[in-house]
Amino acid sequence: MNSANAKLLQRQGDLWMVASLVFAMTPQLMSMPGHLIPITMLPVAWRLLAEFRDWKPMPMVLRVLATGFAVAALVMTYGGLMGRRAAVSMLVLMLSLKLLETFSTRDARVVASLSLFLCATQFLFSQGLAMMVYIVVCLLSSLVAMMYLQRREAFQNIAIVPETGRGIFSELGFGMRLMLLALPVGLAFFLLFPRWGSPLWGVPENALDARSGLSDSMTPGSIQGLFMDDSPAFRAEFETSIPGNSDLYWRGPVFWDFDGRTWASSYLSKNLPAETKPEPLSAPFRYEVQMEPTEQHWLFALDYPALRPQGARMTVDYQLITAKPITSLRSYVMASDPGFRDSPKLKQTLRKAALELPAGFNPRTAALIAGWRAETKSDSAMVQRVLAFFNQENFHYTLNPALLSRHTVDEFVFDTQEGFCEHYASAFTIMMRMAGIPARVVTGYQGGWYSSLGSYVLVRQSDAHAWSEVWIRGSGWTRIDPTAAVAPQRVNNGSVNSLAERRHLLDFAWLRDARNTFDLLQRSWNSWVIAFDASKQSNLFSGLGWGFWDSTKLIIALIAAIVVSTTAVILLLPLILKFRSSRNQDPLLRLWQKFTKKLTKAGFVSHPAMSPRELGSLARSQLKHADDGINQIVELYLLCRYSGFDCNQSRLAELINNFHPQQETT
Amino acid sequence: MTSLASELRGGQKRPALKSLLLNRIKERIRVKRGPLTPPFELEYRHVFVLPTRFGTAFGFMLVFMVLGGLNFNNNMALMLVFMLGTITQMTTLLAYRNLAGLLVDSINVEPVFCGESARFRVFISNKNERQRFAVQAGFKDALDCQDFELNSSNAMLLPLPAQKRGWLDMPSFRIETRFPLGMFKAWSWIFPDTRCLVYPSPASKAPALPKTGKGDAGKAVRGEGDQVHGLRKYQSGDSMQRIAWRASARHGEFYSLEMETPREESCELDWNLLNGIDAEERLSILTAWVIAADHKHMAYSLRIPGEFVPASDGPDHRLNCLELLALFAE
Repeated sequence: MNSANAKLLQRQGDLWMVASLVFAMTPQLMSMPGHLIPITMLPVAWRLLAEFRDWKPMPMVLRVLATGFAVAALVMTYGGLMGRRAAVSMLVLMLSLKLLETFSTRDARVVASLSLFLCATQFLFSQGLAMMVYIVVCLLSSLVAMMYLQRREAFQNIAIVPETGRGIFSELGFGMRLMLLALPVGLAFFLLFPRWGSPLWGVPENALDARSGLSDSMTPGSIQGLFMDDSPAFRAEFETSIPGNSDLYWRGPVFWDFDGRTWASSYLSKNLPAETKPEPLSAPFRYEVQMEPTEQHWLFALDYPALRPQGARMTVDYQLITAKPITSLRSYVMASDPGFRDSPKLKQTLRKAALELPAGFNPRTAALIAGWRAETKSDSAMVQRVLAFFNQENFHYTLNPALLSRHTVDEFVFDTQEGFCEHYASAFTIMMRMAGIPARVVTGYQGGWYSSLGSYVLVRQSDAHAWSEVWIRGSGWTRIDPTAAVAPQRVNNGSVNSLAERRHLLDFAWLRDARNTFDLLQRSWNSWVIAFDASKQSNLFSGLGWGFWDSTKLIIALIAAIVVSTTAVILLLPLILKFRSSRNQDPLLRLWQKFTKKLTKAGFVSHPAMSPRELGSLARSQLKHADDGINQIVELYLLCRYSGFDCNQSRLAELINNFHPQQETT
Repeated sequence: MTSLASELRGGQKRPALKSLLLNRIKERIRVKRGPLTPPFELEYRHVFVLPTRFGTAFGFMLVFMVLGGLNFNNNMALMLVFMLGTITQMTTLLAYRNLAGLLVDSINVEPVFCGESARFRVFISNKNERQRFAVQAGFKDALDCQDFELNSSNAMLLPLPAQKRGWLDMPSFRIETRFPLGMFKAWSWIFPDTRCLVYPSPASKAPALPKTGKGDAGKAVRGEGDQVHGLRKYQSGDSMQRIAWRASARHGEFYSLEMETPREESCELDWNLLNGIDAEERLSILTAWVIAADHKHMAYSLRIPGEFVPASDGPDHRLNCLELLALFAE
């Protein structure tokens, strides 16, 4: 019996359905908290076992219990079901639990389709170039699953199922061909489909997994965590010359408030707007920044930003803060003037904020500074003295500094003497404040990798840096980088290259170089694919000479195009098909059909089973007028058809063309 | 009163209206789209394509995904949706191509007894340069399904219960496919002019055969049977079990047993023997008799009002008698 084939067909559909779901949920699994992964994978494992051991669907009670348990675990993990990550995790869990009851073709189709939906939701988190592979794998596996399910549905009532008509390779090939064929049309839709300038419904606040990049506070270790992260933070393409590496200080969050351990941005500085800013036209550096989403509010710019991008404000300490978190790729044009003098006069309130220190911390340092302060008169000499101290003492720049307890600065300065940029910036700023010099901590990125191919600067998360600014009478806020005093190569060569040790097992210089080069592709991908939006679309149209097209016009055009092309297809397809089918036939048969058509028109009723001679004699008896002509045509046709060399096809054509039977008169 | 009204409204009227509509559409197709009686080739104007329920649901999912993609201006998601939409759209063409060009050659059917299923065999051939996958054919929901290789011809089996004796006209049936993804169904209606002969169902408790004693009793039918008639030389094709081993060993060449079935007396199957029984029941009994007599290799004659078949035997005689019984009209 052929039940083995039926069984195979059944199994293929189920397995590919499970495969499409597993492929679709892979990225989500990788970013889920570890304890949710077994909960998600258990139903998949159960379903696979059920397939091979012929188990029945799980009883209702168990399914409900499993669902309740999974939802509870989810709610406990994410603290609710709000937020994209939690919602998508919910979708993944539900789909995986759905497998417990997915035994019919209909249910399997639901799972295969929703896997594609799940695949689309993953692009909310990442749209990198690598996701192209993901899209292809998801699409292909779902298509193959649907093909097998279709076949299974068709053959489900049949006792005898033939050998599977197509092996898996031809199914995969067929899926690939479908995708390739769909690509041009899909691309056309991609370019022409009207985009919305503004979202229809709100974009939720917590779009990404977690905020990435610099945050709104700094504790020892916070930048160090970023140091392991090689993902791009932003890219800057310069219109003007590119500043030297030691001038590439990308300004981000600025911190004023220190509580003994943590630096935080002050309410005052965040809410006071900048009173003056550099003149954009005279700014020596102009560039466009393409920033990866961070879920944070900071835009980054070289000191000092002269432009205020749309939707952002400039604070008194020259942070650029956006109103909404940056949840998608964002581009802005920026100009910077490093020669700008920041606050020649310091307001009393700000001065007070820049000098405040919590009481009861770091007594040893305070004593040291008090001693130096008595010897040194001017503020700048004091700054130099502290920098020299960092430079001459045995300080180390290292990735793995010893842990610090209560008196962080004391322990750092006198005991451990090793640290990362945030240790130096923090200690230096506190020491300045102890000396009565207004100081603040600035975090951001330092340096970047210049791509000579794409002529842009790539700044990675691992370029995160912290430095210090002190207010000197006469020159205003002045940037001091104490890390440079300890490890000048940090500023000149970049953070990662300045370390002697490897950050992790696979941290090789050549690998970093390769990745930097590869970033060129990613950047083009970003600017051509991901950043394509309503405004780029209308730019494209005006570039094509179509003038300015807004979405209303586009929608009308789209509908019109669909209507016109559909009508054209409906009207033209019969003609094309007819043309094709008549061209495929042999010429003799076409002539013969022409002849019989003429007979039919004259009222003669033929039957398909008649031989030409039978037909001829019957026609002769029915249509009295044209008997001779009919005879000639039939005989010549038979000669042409069967004799081969007596063939005179043009004569036959002539005869048939001149053949005009008359309607029966009776 | 209420039951009558509800019967009119829900029980009868609606399905009647639905099938009326369907019949009108089918009639229109039959008239407008040319003769759809085999043999003919499925052309563009015979093939209809509409989304299935799965296809519709999938379409809604795509719309939902487009809205999401537009809202978040998520270009990768949009690209995925546009690819899916295009692929979905292309499957309409693939479904059409899977049917168009198939040749519906002929339909044949063997006569059946009333109460059995008439098994219509529709011969369909594929002359084109492409394979066809999962082509289905059937009357309502029970569809036969076949793959078609290049230049191949398959018979699709369409069973239909035969509920009345006489001619059973083959109703219109459809050839359909949901290839490749099951989102669209392409189908065409075929209006065959084939009919199936339905014999009366043989009565289960028929009286014993009326034996008259006339006829050439004693003459046996040679060949198959359960009594040994004699020996003959082995001919190729004779069964191994029939070989007379002892005789063969004695003579040095193979001999096989010749079997026979002794013939019983002939009989007359007469309508008038069954007086007082209702006509259909009589036909049933006569049918059962014909079968019984044929089984016993008896010669039999059949008399029904207006017809008389003289005594004879053999398959032709049997078919002739059964046909008379099937088409008997009072």
